[in-house]
Amino acid sequence: MKQTGSIKALLVKHEMILLWVIAVEVILFQVLGQNFLTAGNVSNIFRHSAEIGLLALVMTPVILTGGIDLSVGSLMGLCAVVFGMLVKVYGLDPLVAAGLTVLVGALGGGLNAGLVAGMGLRPLIVTLGTFSLFRGLAEALTHGSKSYSGFSDGFLALGNSDILGVPAQIWIVLVVGIVIWFLVHHTTYGRSLRAIGYGEEGARYAGLPVKRNISITYVMAGAVAGLAAVILVSRLGEARANAGMGYELLAITAVVLGGVSIFGGAGNVSGAVLGWIALAILNNGLTRISDYEILGEKVSSVARELSGLLTGLLLIAALALAICMKMLAAKRSAKQT
Amino acid sequence: MKTLLKLTGIKKSFGAVRALKGVSFELVEGEVHALLGENGAGKSTLIKVITGAHRPDGGAIEVGGEEISELTPAKAQELGIACIYQQPALFPDLSVAENIGLRLEKLGIFKRVGWGDWRQKAEELLARIGAEISPVAEVSSLSMPEQQLVEIACALGSGARIVIMDEPTASLTQKEQHLLFKVVRDLRAQGVGVVYISHRLEEIFALADRVTVLRDGESVGTNPVNGLNESQMIRLMVGRDVETIYPQAEHELGEVLLKVESLSCAASGLEGLNFQIRAGEIFGLAGLVGAGRTELARVLFGITPADGGSISLNRKLLEISSPRQAILHGIAYVPEDRRKHGVILEMAAAENMTMASHSRWFKGGILRKGIETEAGREFVEALGIKLSSLAAPGGSLSGGNQQKLSVARWLATQPKLLILDEPTQGVDVGAKGEIHRIVRDLAKQGMAVLMISSDLPEILGMSDRIGVMRGGKLVEIFEHADAEQVMAAALGSEEVKA
Amino acid sequence: MKRYSRELTVGGALVLLMISLAIFAPNFFDTQPMISRLASQMPALILALGVALVIITRQIDVSIGSQFGMCAVIAGTAAAAGVPMPLAMLCALVAGALMGAANGWLVAGLGLPSIVVTLATMVIWQEVLRLWQKGLLLSLPDGVQWFGMSQGTGQAMVIGSTLLILVLMAWAMKNLSSGRRIYATGSDAEAARLAGLAPKATTFWVFLLMGVLAGVGAALNLVQSPQIQPNSGEGLELKAIAAAVVGGIAITGGRGTLWGVLLGMMLLANVNPALTHFHQPPYWEKAIQGLVILLAVAADGIRIKKQKHLK
Repeated sequence: MKQTGSIKALLVKHEMILLWVIAVEVILFQVLGQNFLTAGNVSNIFRHSAEIGLLALVMTPVILTGGIDLSVGSLMGLCAVVFGMLVKVYGLDPLVAAGLTVLVGALGGGLNAGLVAGMGLRPLIVTLGTFSLFRGLAEALTHGSKSYSGFSDGFLALGNSDILGVPAQIWIVLVVGIVIWFLVHHTTYGRSLRAIGYGEEGARYAGLPVKRNISITYVMAGAVAGLAAVILVSRLGEARANAGMGYELLAITAVVLGGVSIFGGAGNVSGAVLGWIALAILNNGLTRISDYEILGEKVSSVARELSGLLTGLLLIAALALAICMKMLAAKRSAKQT
Repeated sequence: MKTLLKLTGIKKSFGAVRALKGVSFELVEGEVHALLGENGAGKSTLIKVITGAHRPDGGAIEVGGEEISELTPAKAQELGIACIYQQPALFPDLSVAENIGLRLEKLGIFKRVGWGDWRQKAEELLARIGAEISPVAEVSSLSMPEQQLVEIACALGSGARIVIMDEPTASLTQKEQHLLFKVVRDLRAQGVGVVYISHRLEEIFALADRVTVLRDGESVGTNPVNGLNESQMIRLMVGRDVETIYPQAEHELGEVLLKVESLSCAASGLEGLNFQIRAGEIFGLAGLVGAGRTELARVLFGITPADGGSISLNRKLLEISSPRQAILHGIAYVPEDRRKHGVILEMAAAENMTMASHSRWFKGGILRKGIETEAGREFVEALGIKLSSLAAPGGSLSGGNQQKLSVARWLATQPKLLILDEPTQGVDVGAKGEIHRIVRDLAKQGMAVLMISSDLPEILGMSDRIGVMRGGKLVEIFEHADAEQVMAAALGSEEVKA
Repeated sequence: MKRYSRELTVGGALVLLMISLAIFAPNFFDTQPMISRLASQMPALILALGVALVIITRQIDVSIGSQFGMCAVIAGTAAAAGVPMPLAMLCALVAGALMGAANGWLVAGLGLPSIVVTLATMVIWQEVLRLWQKGLLLSLPDGVQWFGMSQGTGQAMVIGSTLLILVLMAWAMKNLSSGRRIYATGSDAEAARLAGLAPKATTFWVFLLMGVLAGVGAALNLVQSPQIQPNSGEGLELKAIAAAVVGGIAITGGRGTLWGVLLGMMLLANVNPALTHFHQPPYWEKAIQGLVILLAVAADGIRIKKQKHLK
């Protein structure tokens, strides 16, 4: 009977575990690596993972409803190309172009929303379709190879300068993070997302606006994917069709690692943020590992390549762990009755 | 006569609810043994014990004279026990023949499917029950009764010695019914034992050799059908006097609040319903399972919107196309399926209580934990909800307290019309009395209450007026009635109406 | 007829495409390029057949492109090391089976959602490949291309063996108990459990078979060129899924035929060559693929809604 209570306790514990993981990562990379805990590198960790952070933040509400959005990475590609064209071909001011790009992202998310909430189709196949569609549009617009560069210094500063000693884009992540955190944990909207994730039918019986709120999560995910695209272009100084490739997986990994249940309902934003940080540190730390030689191979060069592989393994491990915990809890509660 | 199945002293509890309190039952070769009882008397639990789906807490099961220590669904099938549930478990995307074939033939994975054989077998079985269903039709294209016929064909083909039929005629047409009766008689002639569950007394008289009546989880007795007439049988079912003391109405009724005129909904099988409920009145709605009571509630609450007729509340004509609109108009619905629709088990009690009335508590959509806690405390006190804390998840509460939680959620919307669907199902006696008191108090405050219940004493004890539904129609409205009259109206039996 | 309406629609669209090509771009049908084109489409068709089975079971597998790449490199490395050709191909099949079994165990055994599991394994195999090959081309020994025979014979063998597999699988799906179990599992897993059809085991074996087919596809791809790229499987998963879904394999499980998948693949695979023959830029391939997936899924959604409404 205490089962759900202990799940909640576990969630809190989950975040403690993540903090420990992060601490171990930091110590490990500081010992094994070069210049890991320097102001410059810490700033880099965040600068280079800001886009993933944004995607993880907006993926959280989607997964809370029991859905998934595989299209955010591709949508970033489309948005990056749109932004590049707006600035370089149509000569728009980067700020105006950024606004329009976010709008395009929201429209892309709106397509997902219409198909998922409006037509009641399964999110995985819908967003798999738009995954292909958005990337395909980006490639079509650039004829597969064209890229846009040569943006103004003012715009490039967004991705490459500091404000108050913190990478400029991290301020944006912070603002988005606070908004999402507030929406999820302090509004009736956020509460309805959890209710939907636990049981869509039950939420409908309680008179909650199920379709509308599911739609909002996908539109929001699209808009923020557009924003992430702008930031990415600013950091790299180049807009290409392959922008954000594979980012959806990193975002999902961060969220699942952060203890948000892939089946919906349970989880919180702070967990997703910690999941993101743990992932970001891992990716950066591996590139910092000093030269040791084991069996004639340079450890550093291998380690540098490992981050993608580890991300995949980590995702499976996190999922399997969550399932095992659930089974254990179920067994315990079965014993009690 | 050889005994096929013998149950002695079967006990089964679910948490605090004692569903079976030591039931004994016997089935012999070549008999049709009817199992009779009100909803909630323990029939479905007993069936599930026989099919191995539930493990009894106590008692003995003998099949064919051999005591079975642990009965699983697989073991039951092996022993030749087949059951036709009300909800068919078929493959919607596959053909009828394939459904029957897959069920009856256990093929190794590299064995070739005999399409011709399957089709022939299906044709033969369907012909035996006289069903006019093409074996090549896709199951998803069949109607519910047709799907049930396919289930019956499966049971028939399995060559079972013990066949359980759970209200097999509930959705069949007259013609299909007669064919089914013939099948049952054929089975009997072959020495098969049939456990036959039905609410329709005329069927029991037509088919059954013996009848066992269950009441409140106990068997009241087994009698040969010949020795009974309808009114005796009804009395056996209803049996007890109204022991519980129900809180009585002491207040004057107000004006007509809800007025329903020729309401129809083809999708839910409702047709031409007319009734009204006054402020302060409890309108009890009786009827058998499948009579359309829950369907009516779902129409009023906008889950399956009406397609004809009118609903007005406080003389205002309403358009209700979603639960949200219903709530805005002041209609609240405490649903039948508490665990699926009434309470979100994983979420905190307080969150559950405010779930349907967010706009009342949280201006601008921003959660205010202080207000929520305060409201929660008030409801906990007013309804006497027992919980460890307001943050405790709904699933950690007992059945009765979960039900009160569900009621609290809907009271929080400050409704004018409160619809209760089986408000005390699976609730222990103490909590039951409290829920009755709460409902009566709410009526006293001027709420109109529509109470759906299959618990006859509850309907009789609580209602100011009683409507009886049968086959999607409101067939009778009583100002005063006794159990026999209500039961007779629900069953459609002319004889005992008097 | 209604049951096969999707196959008929797609078949009709394919015929229309071919007719318009025959009128406006008749050199599309020049024998040698057409056979080459057909042969090069066969590996993707093999993958589509496999993923069709996965989708009929009401699951999904997006890791098949990576599996394909792994199998190709494993077989290629074996061949380059002097392992005889049949044995090298066997290596691809075994590797595929192992990777498929891993997915199957995670999905059927642990009950994890297949989309996330296969998303993770997709990246894992892709990364393993990258670490291993460092993006380098792998040159194959002489005897590998076209099985060491002439190009024509080799192409005929590729096309022939693919069609043989298609016919065998389509027959098995229709006539073997195992095939019907796949349909039953996808149609209603709970009913399958009650009928004693072991839906979990079925799901596991379908994922394993998917892996084997990824190996077969890789082997048939391997023989078509003198060297292999380690990323040869990238994007193939979407092509395969699109072909299956367009060909009438319902994403809700339990429906569709492998003949439909053949039509779906032929339609999709010829969109790009057709675009070039109509003198249109070929960049739209991925976008069209995505759009087609959405259209097919939406059509299924409408069908289900109508059916519910009828009841």
